[in-house]
Amino acid sequence: MPVSGLRAVRLAALTLCLISPARAQVIPIKTIPIAQGNQFQLFPSNNLGMGSVSIALPDSLQDPFVNPATGSRLQASRFFSSPTVYSVTRGTGGGRSLPLAVLARKANWYGGLALALQQVEPSRPPQPRGGVVVGVLPPPPPGGGLGGPIQPDPVLRPDLRAHGNQFAFGMIGRSVPGSNLSIGASVLWNGLHALDGVDLLYAGSRRIVQSGHSLDLRLGALKEWPGTRGARSLEALLFHNRFAATHEVTYADLFWDPATLQFQEQARIERNFDHTNTWGLQLDYQVPLAAPGWRFGWLATANRSSHPKIPNYELANLPVIPRDPGRTSAFNLGVGLSKVRGPARFGVDLLYEPIASYTWADAAAPVLTTAGDTIAAGGKTIENRFRFSNAQFRIGFDQILQANGMTAFQLGLIVHSIHYRLAQDDNVQLQQRSLQTGWVEWTPTWGFSIRRPEVEVRYQGRATKGGGRPDAPIFFGVGDLRVAGGTILAAPTGPLFMTDVSTVTHQITVSLPLR
Amino acid sequence: MTFSVRPLCVAALVIAAACDETLPPEGFPESVDGQLRRTLNLYGVVPIGPVPAQSPALVALGQALMFDKILSGNRDIACVTCHEPSQHATDGLPLAVGTGGTGVGSARTLGPGRSFVPRNAPTLLNSGLGLFYVFWDGRLTRFGPPPPDTPLPSDLVDLIAAQAMLPVLNRREMRGERGDVDVFGNPNELAQFGDSQSTQVWQAVMQRLLAIPGYVTLFNAAFPGKPAHALTFGDAATAMAAFQSAALTKTGSPFDRYLQRDDNALSPEAKRGAILFFNDARCSSCHNGPLLGGRDFANSGVPQLGPGVGKGAPLDHGRGELVNNEFYQFAFRVPPLRNVELTAPYFHDGAIATLEDAVRHYNDVTRSLREFDPSTLPDAVRSSYHGDQVTIDSLLVSLDFRLRTPLHLSDAQIDELVAFLKALTDPAARDLSGTVPTSVPSGLPVR
Repeated sequence: MPVSGLRAVRLAALTLCLISPARAQVIPIKTIPIAQGNQFQLFPSNNLGMGSVSIALPDSLQDPFVNPATGSRLQASRFFSSPTVYSVTRGTGGGRSLPLAVLARKANWYGGLALALQQVEPSRPPQPRGGVVVGVLPPPPPGGGLGGPIQPDPVLRPDLRAHGNQFAFGMIGRSVPGSNLSIGASVLWNGLHALDGVDLLYAGSRRIVQSGHSLDLRLGALKEWPGTRGARSLEALLFHNRFAATHEVTYADLFWDPATLQFQEQARIERNFDHTNTWGLQLDYQVPLAAPGWRFGWLATANRSSHPKIPNYELANLPVIPRDPGRTSAFNLGVGLSKVRGPARFGVDLLYEPIASYTWADAAAPVLTTAGDTIAAGGKTIENRFRFSNAQFRIGFDQILQANGMTAFQLGLIVHSIHYRLAQDDNVQLQQRSLQTGWVEWTPTWGFSIRRPEVEVRYQGRATKGGGRPDAPIFFGVGDLRVAGGTILAAPTGPLFMTDVSTVTHQITVSLPLR
Repeated sequence: MTFSVRPLCVAALVIAAACDETLPPEGFPESVDGQLRRTLNLYGVVPIGPVPAQSPALVALGQALMFDKILSGNRDIACVTCHEPSQHATDGLPLAVGTGGTGVGSARTLGPGRSFVPRNAPTLLNSGLGLFYVFWDGRLTRFGPPPPDTPLPSDLVDLIAAQAMLPVLNRREMRGERGDVDVFGNPNELAQFGDSQSTQVWQAVMQRLLAIPGYVTLFNAAFPGKPAHALTFGDAATAMAAFQSAALTKTGSPFDRYLQRDDNALSPEAKRGAILFFNDARCSSCHNGPLLGGRDFANSGVPQLGPGVGKGAPLDHGRGELVNNEFYQFAFRVPPLRNVELTAPYFHDGAIATLEDAVRHYNDVTRSLREFDPSTLPDAVRSSYHGDQVTIDSLLVSLDFRLRTPLHLSDAQIDELVAFLKALTDPAARDLSGTVPTSVPSGLPVR
């Protein structure tokens, strides 16, 4: 990717990005190439190891968690657990999750329950190779250092503890007899105290206490038309996602203390609220092709997000521009092909994601412009218009080994291209600026499974390269990042120094039939 | 339904192959605030915390002492005569007028047979913030003992209190000359001591003070339990320092609010000036740190003016006049800059009348020095200008290396720099009339 070593990536305005507790139907938006841990890879998947292809290839494990109507495809009740660990290289973070799930069916009714606990390590700036430096050293006196040393304050020491999140999922659905129609509804509640990477996004902060929750409500329908080569199917999903989090950020501000004639640190606590509400609709159509085993599918998703409150993120090296919430319209359009023939499955997806976002900054008080005019309180001081043109390519295959028919392996690749244009109007400095930038993230995936009648064990992994993590944003960092509903909104206007890192995820899924 | 999948696959692969990195182009220029805040960090410019709380009784004593002419040998000049509240704790004059003078502030004139104090009276504003050096030559510092010829009690640790000990010893400033009589026609007993008898002078001042019941009361309140015989002039100086800290600390400027994360505190013009200040204009190479100066010395090529100091008279070699500091020829303390707008004229001898002229001087120091127009000086000091070629050449030989290259600032940039410097003004510093007492214990006139 783009973030090479210590290369300065010049970006220019608002960044919507990554840490999304919502599932894939909430289209992630990303304007800076920050590596994101796979924190929300919680639930089991058949296709994770084969590039997560899904448009034309059903994922019998994952689909019920995405569209509750697809639970009707359950053949029998099953218990799942899919412990997952992820780590971000260079010692920059990691986490682990333990979900437990039951999907059950009785006659025309089906349902599911899942609980998950998660522990997330605090994110840290990239550590030097060959060693790990934990924590943050007190800064030297700035400006060359006349004055005494900075007095250490225990309150301002970084919080190095891992924090936990909780997840609860419930789903219920019913197949309508004789119509090949299923409908279902699901709810996912997340209690959030640790979003991966948030620690890095408040430059100069020493402690961040995260608390919040998200609620994801889904209503799905599945209609199938049986045919000789397989069933055509149409899935429809309406969802609403509400995200509300609070970040209590403790900064250590340097000041000159006339009493002690030394530089000192004092705590400054800022409470940032992060609220985003998203409505979305997704349609997914699959049809068997004439060629044996081949299926074609298309998918269309629309998101409409409002960001009633976005926190004041700061990222090292990035200047602060106060920015208030906005609104985002995100879409994806995808096509997919798959082939299932004998012991092999193959799939390929191609998605295009156009996104438009408009954000602005409100003047908290009257602001004098460069021209001498005054922007009244509540007026817009900065306006940002983003036009994303993202694309995603997923390909993968799954091969059952003929030797015993019980083991299989998977390989896959996900290529995610992010590209956007930004037009920014600075109504204070009376500048119009534009930016066009992008990068590519590569994610090879792999998997291995053992299937026996009494148990199915699946190991799957993925490694994403192409993102970075900001270097040592501890002191003197100024910046402008905002998070909205798990999507980070950032407005970098200067060089951003990041170090290449990779995110590696390992998931073991155990599936037991319930008799 | 039939599909030809091969073209689709090929198309997918082609599109994927096209998903290469788009290198970010120029990117946005860094915002003014971003650039400024980053630069502030580089130069250690951080917010200033509150000054320590002072005992009200100590402050009350210090206020009385600062305004009372009883401290001067001739009972005709108080500390605030040269640090006049209406002149923002300086006097508005290029060179201070000591004992024997008449008038207030910039209207003050020399008395018969007197000469100017050789240096400009620096403002006392923000003297309580923890200065690194005091006096123009920095002879008192937190980093070491005073020079051998500057006697001070060894137990005096407060730099501002130490500074307050010295003007009463200086004959031009407050003590007077042998044979002087005070405003009542009585002999000036302080002037009778030799110049090496500093302890005796301080004791004599204390005798004056403790002979006044009002001061006995004030000292007892400020130093409860301390017997009168144990009180020293160091205690008086401590009280004056407390008053300065409590009454003359003015750090509520727009720039201070900006440092407290209020981006709107500075006007766009002031922000551009600040960026110049910390970058192209190179001001911050000297004026840095939390106080924007005060921790360095520089020969700024300032026109020489006045009677001169020490062996170098009639020139003033500044810090170079101090023993073991000969390297610092014509170098003077780089003053902190808060409230600089209010403290004209500028530099160690007040040779530059306005803030804009001071900035223009730095724009091309060599040219400014060579082309200095003495007609800009007040009549009283014009004749003491040393504009001969030898003096100018001497100044330029040791000119600070940071000032040898012209800055080539435009008029607009100079205006922006001035706008920034004016943003260093605490509005509360504009009117210090609230610090003036209605009377002082000696009964001498406050003005």
